[in-house]
Amino acid sequence: MSSFDVAAGATRLPNETKDKVVVRDLNFYYGQNHALKGINLVLQEGQVTAFIGPSGCGKSTLLRVLNRMYDLYPGQRAEGEVLLDGDNILAKEIDLNLLRSRVGMVFQKPTPFPMSIYDNIAFGIRLYEKLPKSEMDDRVETALKRSAIWTEVKDKLAASGLSLSGGQQQRLCIARTVAIKPEVILFDEPCSALDPISTAKIEELIDELSGDYTIAIVTHNMQQAARVSHYTAFMYLGEMVEFNETNAVFTAPRDKRTQDYVTGRFG
Amino acid sequence: MVNHTVKSYDAELDDVERHIAEMGGLAEKMVMEAMDALSSADAQLAHQVVETDQRLDLLQRQIEDLAVMTIARRQPVAIDLRELIGAIRIAGDLERIGDLAKNIAKRSVKIGSEGRVARAIVGIKHMNEVATELLKDVLDAYAQRDADRAREVWERDVDLDALEDSVFRDLLTHMMEDPRNISFCAHLLFCSKNIERIGDHATNIAETVVYLTTGQALPTDRPRGPQETDLGVGGGAA
Amino acid sequence: MTGLYSGRKRRNFVWTVLAYAATALGLTMLVIILATLIWNGFGGLSLDVFTKNTAPPGVVGGLLNSIVGSLITTGIGLVIGAPLGILAGTYLAEYGRYSRVAVAVRFINDILLSAPSIVIGLFIYELLVVPVGHFSAIAGGVALAVLGAPIMVRTTEDMLNLVPNTLREAASALGMPRSLVIRHVAYRAVLSGIVTGVLLAVARMTGETAPLIFTALGNSLFTLDPRGPMSSLPLIIYEFARSPYAEQQKLAWTGALILTFAVLTLSIAARALSAQTRQK
Repeated sequence: MSSFDVAAGATRLPNETKDKVVVRDLNFYYGQNHALKGINLVLQEGQVTAFIGPSGCGKSTLLRVLNRMYDLYPGQRAEGEVLLDGDNILAKEIDLNLLRSRVGMVFQKPTPFPMSIYDNIAFGIRLYEKLPKSEMDDRVETALKRSAIWTEVKDKLAASGLSLSGGQQQRLCIARTVAIKPEVILFDEPCSALDPISTAKIEELIDELSGDYTIAIVTHNMQQAARVSHYTAFMYLGEMVEFNETNAVFTAPRDKRTQDYVTGRFG
Repeated sequence: MVNHTVKSYDAELDDVERHIAEMGGLAEKMVMEAMDALSSADAQLAHQVVETDQRLDLLQRQIEDLAVMTIARRQPVAIDLRELIGAIRIAGDLERIGDLAKNIAKRSVKIGSEGRVARAIVGIKHMNEVATELLKDVLDAYAQRDADRAREVWERDVDLDALEDSVFRDLLTHMMEDPRNISFCAHLLFCSKNIERIGDHATNIAETVVYLTTGQALPTDRPRGPQETDLGVGGGAA
Repeated sequence: MTGLYSGRKRRNFVWTVLAYAATALGLTMLVIILATLIWNGFGGLSLDVFTKNTAPPGVVGGLLNSIVGSLITTGIGLVIGAPLGILAGTYLAEYGRYSRVAVAVRFINDILLSAPSIVIGLFIYELLVVPVGHFSAIAGGVALAVLGAPIMVRTTEDMLNLVPNTLREAASALGMPRSLVIRHVAYRAVLSGIVTGVLLAVARMTGETAPLIFTALGNSLFTLDPRGPMSSLPLIIYEFARSPYAEQQKLAWTGALILTFAVLTLSIAARALSAQTRQK
């Protein structure tokens, strides 16, 4: 029967996993618009979870609840519970800045700050720690190495972050996020603005980062979800339709809607 | 099932299925005609069967090429992936069935028209009918994507195994009765083995159909006849 | 088909000619003004202009006190107006996207942008000259600030609105508090744009006459004390241009030349900076 074990996703599953983020009965509203309906899911520690679904299904909305990014905009509110290591991050008393230092985010469009490459990384670190220059240099170097961009920028750390190519800028943004040592990293369609080679480099990066970080990635590219994640969540019209190991979702999904979507029978 | 948004994808999958259907039809025909050639000593029919096997081999290669190309181009997942992998497996099994039928046909030419024992053929003919039924049913199950029907075929293979046992004993008896029968019955022994193998391949196809439809595999141990557990040659002979 | 096309070609030709003609007219006017200024004012340029104070007719004089007075008054206007303008613009762009207060502020700002400068002068006169009892450069500076701030509010808000929201979100996602996001990310991204706004405001402030008439009044002596009346270039041009004495008229032309080139330099610098911003 071995030829039936068609691997459609990452297959590294450790024996014991901890629930890093637990979402319970999450409902989200843009004004009157009920965008997320009763979402329940679990992000396992050190695992990569992908969110897929057609446009408007709410996957980016869900991601942005996980670091309370919606708080920047009035009229958007969330109800329910999102537990990070057991603490509900939707509670009013939560220090948002501290939350975001534990839950980092990488966006679709690379957004380096208008500063030097060095400062882009150091800036985030300086928010939380006062480090002497030599230590800061080390931290910056580590972050850039971790994001597979050190060799390309080590001779031009003083150059503006905007002078890099698109793929490099995105890796710089990842380095910036990794530098402040978060526990969870959220990726919102990180490769949709990049060419295939840069995309592959970033997928490799996500592979390397998983294990040390809990990762959630929203992607329009199903093959990417299949390649990169251990768990996949399929969302449709604000609901969580199926949440399962990636292998299962891409070889034998339980819900017909999931199957229709992943095989390209949607619409 | 709803169609793919990209219609050429559906066309490619249909193409593969049509090739399988053609292969299945040919294999069925070959199995029946090989037995006909054997029982009526029809050398011309036997040659026909041998030639048909070439077409079967070609079809198998075509199916594999189609499947590989579709996998490369479409990156299929879920049911589409299972379909294509299933098609590759079924094509392989059908090609082996063709080979086995071809072997029966070739053997029938070798036997010729001397030293035939009419009574000995009866059992084998019955075996072949059962095997042909299995093959036909499993191909129907594939066409209908009917997992229950496939499972049923999978279970009925037991009967074929039991039949092979009784044919074996029968042929032994004939050989012991009269040494002039030995040559003929020995050939028939090989043929009965081939037919039993045809049944096994039909079972494989049934397993593939179940996996393809449900995503689950059948258990590795299918039901077997009680005699298969003992390995002694002379055991159980009358 | 060709009938339509040739008709379009003809009309295109006509409009192109008209466009070029209008440009030529505008440029001609500009050249005439500059030429007149240079023709009449250049001859009066001398070291005396920059070293001697304004003098009564008959005495050799210069424009020193007016130039210094302009610098001081405009300086006061900048010190008061720039923080007001930039911060108000920041409020409108960063905090005021969804508030009704912001809508009101924007509306009033737009009115102030085109408010008659003499009205503003009169207003400051009532506010800062009458109760104190005397004219002052401070009052003049305040009037100039009221004139210049709306420009800086507008430019700052427009520039900050150009900063993509994703950049702000990226900074917030690192856990950066709002004020730091604005100071270190948003401002840095459009710094040259904001400075451009400041330069444009200064250019306007330098050239205003009407408000200064009621607030700074003018002074024939050299003074550095902003609490009393002070001269400035626009005021002295106004005075000397009406004077019947030829040498004072000549100085008026020279003053006009200096003033024009100062404003021209500021505007060109603003242009160059904004081109640089857009290139990034």
